[in-house]
Amino acid sequence: MTESNLQIPAPAFDGDIFADDVLADPYDAYATLRDLGPVVWLAAHDTFAVTRYREARTVLGSPELFCSGQGVALNDPCNQQTAGRSLIATDGEWHGHLRKILAHNITPRAIRHLEDQIKTQADALITGLVARRSFDAVEDLARALPLSIVPDLVGWPADGRDHLLQWASAIFNFLGPLNDRALASVPDVVAMQAFAAEMAAGGRLMPGSVGAGVVDAAAHGQLPPDQVAALIVGYLAPSLDTTISAMGSAMWLAATHQEQWELLRARPELIPNAFNEVVRLESPIRIFSRVTTGPTDLGGVPLAEGTRVAVLYGCANRDPRQFPDPDAFAIDRGNAGEHLGFGHGVHSCAGQGLARMETHALLEAMTKTVARIELAGPAVRAANNLINGWDRLPVTVLPGR
Amino acid sequence: MRIIIDQERCEGHGQCVAAAPEVFAFDDDGLTVVLQDPVDATAEDAARAAVRRCPVAALQIEEQG
Repeated sequence: MTESNLQIPAPAFDGDIFADDVLADPYDAYATLRDLGPVVWLAAHDTFAVTRYREARTVLGSPELFCSGQGVALNDPCNQQTAGRSLIATDGEWHGHLRKILAHNITPRAIRHLEDQIKTQADALITGLVARRSFDAVEDLARALPLSIVPDLVGWPADGRDHLLQWASAIFNFLGPLNDRALASVPDVVAMQAFAAEMAAGGRLMPGSVGAGVVDAAAHGQLPPDQVAALIVGYLAPSLDTTISAMGSAMWLAATHQEQWELLRARPELIPNAFNEVVRLESPIRIFSRVTTGPTDLGGVPLAEGTRVAVLYGCANRDPRQFPDPDAFAIDRGNAGEHLGFGHGVHSCAGQGLARMETHALLEAMTKTVARIELAGPAVRAANNLINGWDRLPVTVLPGR
Repeated sequence: MRIIIDQERCEGHGQCVAAAPEVFAFDDDGLTVVLQDPVDATAEDAARAAVRRCPVAALQIEEQG
C-alpha cells in the first residue's frame, strides 16, 4: 500500500472484482465489500466502490453532485472518448436534450405500437422452441428476440448485423478497468464506431427508425453531426446485451428454482414483478462510475471534489438492509421493483420499456406452454467487464398447459 | 398527502401504476395521471412505494399540514 493510499478515508479491498472467477460468481466478493462499508476503496482499480443500496441510490439520484459528464467508465481513455458525447456521459440540460431526442422514439408510450408485433414474435419463437424440446436458452431464446427487433427499430442495415453482438460485447468490455479484456476490445469498438459513423453520414439508416430520427435531429441543428454515431451506438449496444443478459438469467433462475416457475405459471400477473426480481438478483450491468462535483460525504466517507466513485449495481441490489434474504429468488418479493438494476433517476436506462416489453412477452408465452425448464448441460457465464450475462444455457423444456 | 408528477421527466414506465393502481393510471394519451388528490389515507403506503419505484424519479410527495 502506498503512502497516499494510507490516507484514503474508506476501508480498502485488495481483490480484483474483474478476475474471471469473480465475474463468474461475484456475490461472495460483493458480500465482503458490503460488510467492509458502504464506500470501499478498490485498490486494484484506484477507485471507490459504492456497495450498499442507500448510498448507491443517493449517488444515482444526485446527478448535480455525482456527475456523469467526465465519463462513467472505469478507465481514462474510454472516459476521454465518451465524455460529453455519449448519452450516459453527459449532464444537466444537455443530457436532458439528448435524452429527449432519443427517448421520444423509445419511451413506453412511443413503442406501444410494437407490443402486438413483439407478442406475436415471442409466441412464434417459443412455439418453435417448445417443439424442439432442447435448445440453448442464450443463443436460441435470449438473443433471438432482441436481435429480431432492436436492429429494425434502430434502422440498422442488414449488412451491419453479423458483427452486432461481438461489437456490443466489446463496447461493454471497453467501459471496464483497463485490463486485458478492455484492451482486446479496442479493434471491435473502433469497427463499430466506424460503421455507425458511416451509417450516420450516409443516410443508410432505415427511414422512420430511431436511428434515422437522430440523424434528422442533427440535420435540424439539434445536436452536432459528430455526436450522431455515439448516440445511436449508445442505444443499440445496451438494447441487445442487457436484455439478452436479463432473459438468460430469467431462464437460468427458472431452471434452478422450479417452485418459482410453478408460482409464475399459477399467477402470470406476477410476470412484471418477476422480471424486476430477475434484474435485482442478476443485475445485467455490473458497474458505472460518477465524479463528485464538490466535496461531500457518502456513507460517512469524506470525498474530495473530482473523486470518481463506482456504483456496483448487483452488490447494492443484494443489500440485506434493503432486501430481506437478498440472495433468495422470490418472484413475489414485495419491493423487488425498488431495485437499481436499470439505474435510478435522470440516467435511468432509456430502453427499459422495450426490455420489459420483450421479456414480459417471452415469459407470458412460456408460462402458457412450458410446465418445466431443466438445465441440460453446464451453464456457462460470459466473462465481460460490464455485463453479467451468459454464453451458454443448454435447457430442456417439458411442455404443458 | 399529495403526489406531484413531473411530466417533463415521466416517460411512462408504468411502475407506479403497477405498485398502486388505485392511485396512478395512464390516461387515453398514455400520460401518467394521479387518481386520488389528495391520496386516500388507506393508499398512502402503496403510493409511497410507487414513488420509490419510479425509475426516472418523476414523482414527488407533498405532505400536508
